[in-house]
Amino acid sequence: MDFNPCMKHKVVRKFVRDFSETEIAPLVYDLDREARFPWEIIEKMRPLNFFGLQVPRAYGGAEVDSISYAIIIEELSRVSAAIGLCVSVHNSVGAYPLVKFGTASQKKRFLPPLARGEQIGAFCLTEANAGSDAGGVETHAALIEDHYVINGTKIFVTNGGVCGTTLIFAKTPAEDRRKQNSVFIVEQGTPGFSVGEIEDLCGMRANPVSSLFFEDCRVPKENLLGHLGDGLKIGLDALDTGRIGIAAQALGIAQAALDASVKYAKERQQFRKPISSFQTIQNYLADMATEVDAGRLLLYRAAAYKDSGRPFGAEAAKAKLFCSKLATRVTNLAVQIHGGYGYSKEYDVERYFRDAKVTEIYEGTSEVQQMVIARHLLAEPT
Amino acid sequence: MFKFIVCMKQVPMVSELPWDSRTGRLQRELAEGMMNPACKHALEAALQLKHRHGGRITAITMGPPMAEEILREAVAMGADRGVLLTDPHMAGADTLVTSHTLARAIEKECPDFDLVFCGCHTSDSETAQVGPQLAEELGVAGVAYVEQLELNGRTVRMQRESDDFLETLEMDLPGVLTLTPHYYVPRYASLVGLQDAFEQVGVDLLSADDLKLSAKEIGIKASPTRILNVFSPVAGKTNITIKGSAKKVVDELFNRFGDQLSGAIGKDFKTHDHDEQINE
Repeated sequence: MDFNPCMKHKVVRKFVRDFSETEIAPLVYDLDREARFPWEIIEKMRPLNFFGLQVPRAYGGAEVDSISYAIIIEELSRVSAAIGLCVSVHNSVGAYPLVKFGTASQKKRFLPPLARGEQIGAFCLTEANAGSDAGGVETHAALIEDHYVINGTKIFVTNGGVCGTTLIFAKTPAEDRRKQNSVFIVEQGTPGFSVGEIEDLCGMRANPVSSLFFEDCRVPKENLLGHLGDGLKIGLDALDTGRIGIAAQALGIAQAALDASVKYAKERQQFRKPISSFQTIQNYLADMATEVDAGRLLLYRAAAYKDSGRPFGAEAAKAKLFCSKLATRVTNLAVQIHGGYGYSKEYDVERYFRDAKVTEIYEGTSEVQQMVIARHLLAEPT
Repeated sequence: MFKFIVCMKQVPMVSELPWDSRTGRLQRELAEGMMNPACKHALEAALQLKHRHGGRITAITMGPPMAEEILREAVAMGADRGVLLTDPHMAGADTLVTSHTLARAIEKECPDFDLVFCGCHTSDSETAQVGPQLAEELGVAGVAYVEQLELNGRTVRMQRESDDFLETLEMDLPGVLTLTPHYYVPRYASLVGLQDAFEQVGVDLLSADDLKLSAKEIGIKASPTRILNVFSPVAGKTNITIKGSAKKVVDELFNRFGDQLSGAIGKDFKTHDHDEQINE
């Protein structure tokens, strides 16, 4: 068992850190304040293959291994969680289901513009009355001649305001309860498809999370992803991969909060001493570092399982559960260490604190992760 | 087809360098490494020439096995191959021996090279000596501190800043250049490039034996340079009280800080001139 990162992973981390600190960091404060999606940064990321992370070379992707993938999302999120989120969602639930379940002609048509980042991807499942309960979606699709006609409203769609190609999870009537949903590929500009207002959220403010409306939205029947009734299968698979991305994102936020706290604790003087000399602060920092380290090990294990072709659903759920929870704990302590300044927008930890919380909510809440983990645990023979 | 060589060095990333106070040498194994910034600019210059005129770039470095990292990075950015000179006997080489070793490797790996690019100096030792010494070792022309260059046939036309003016120089190939980090902006490696650099392209390892160099002519044993003292600069504040008459205080101020004031204002202050003025 080797716990040292290999040279490739070290270099990938260095490259993404360099890019993030040089190109993204100077803008993050304004992007958060203005809740603005940074097209100028996306422009720079496109030729570097950030949008084709899991897309095969044949379709213009970089096809990186899962540990590299986790490192890339972690390092982007260390500087801007909102951009990390955009890249994670685009790659894991926007593009990857097409890689895994798309037909040859779907791949040829939809993957290259996604891999080049010309189109931003999204996956919409959540509705006003359905989230954790995916089977409860009300958006439905009906086959009329050679088109599916989709009707319904999706909410809280990450990348919703900028998505070019999106995957829609909709009800398609069937007798088998597990076969009642399907996934459709919908392109921006399809008649009947429209984007709602950008949500005014607590964190991740540079990501244009929005509602998407489908009103008699007609998509050719070739846009059905996988088979009719495969919705749950595709959704669950996409979420397994997505969880590695969200865990990496939470870890990146936590690492940023830890780094900022160590630096601040050494600089900040109280009682004529740096606050890092006080045992309470040392204990906070030690706990934060331990949690971040433990989360990273869980995350890389899930990624390594995925690369070796082993089932990784439970491992990804554990990594997502633990990393998102540690991110809220670590960012909370980071604000505490920074005191009043930590509560001010002048310091980055205030943003980390706001960004962290949602990692416990999206792509499966912590409670859903616990459900997934328990299901695996209880299915094992005793 | 042009044959370009970029010599590079892995330097520690940290600003607080872990020095061994006993030997005056950097404990490289304790520091995270990176490609020396000026070398990265030199690589970018070579990449731009390659894209305009065609050619092949060999990135070469001497260092411990972990220095392979910067060669992979160079390949990810667009170099065609990497050559790592690594051997326990090569350790501790000063600039003279480094350029000697590099020259022998270049003669072996790419004897018909057209242009060798180096960074103008390294961020860890700042000597700026290896490039010019390498030109001597290879017996070709060399130009240091090049800002920008273009290639016309077999002639390189270069600009370099010298005090307050810009020099234009021309040199016939082959030759050695050292580049400043001012004009060329290093590109980012793409993620495809990074994957390929580790999975598709090999890095050749060369030992002293491969270069037919004996232990006596390489590494610390062959290095005539003796480091007397190396230290991290320490910034400090002290309160100084100067007492006495106004003239005495002013004289004392100029005695103590005249040099710094001259540097800041750009005028040459001389205490005795000041004395004369006072006397008048």
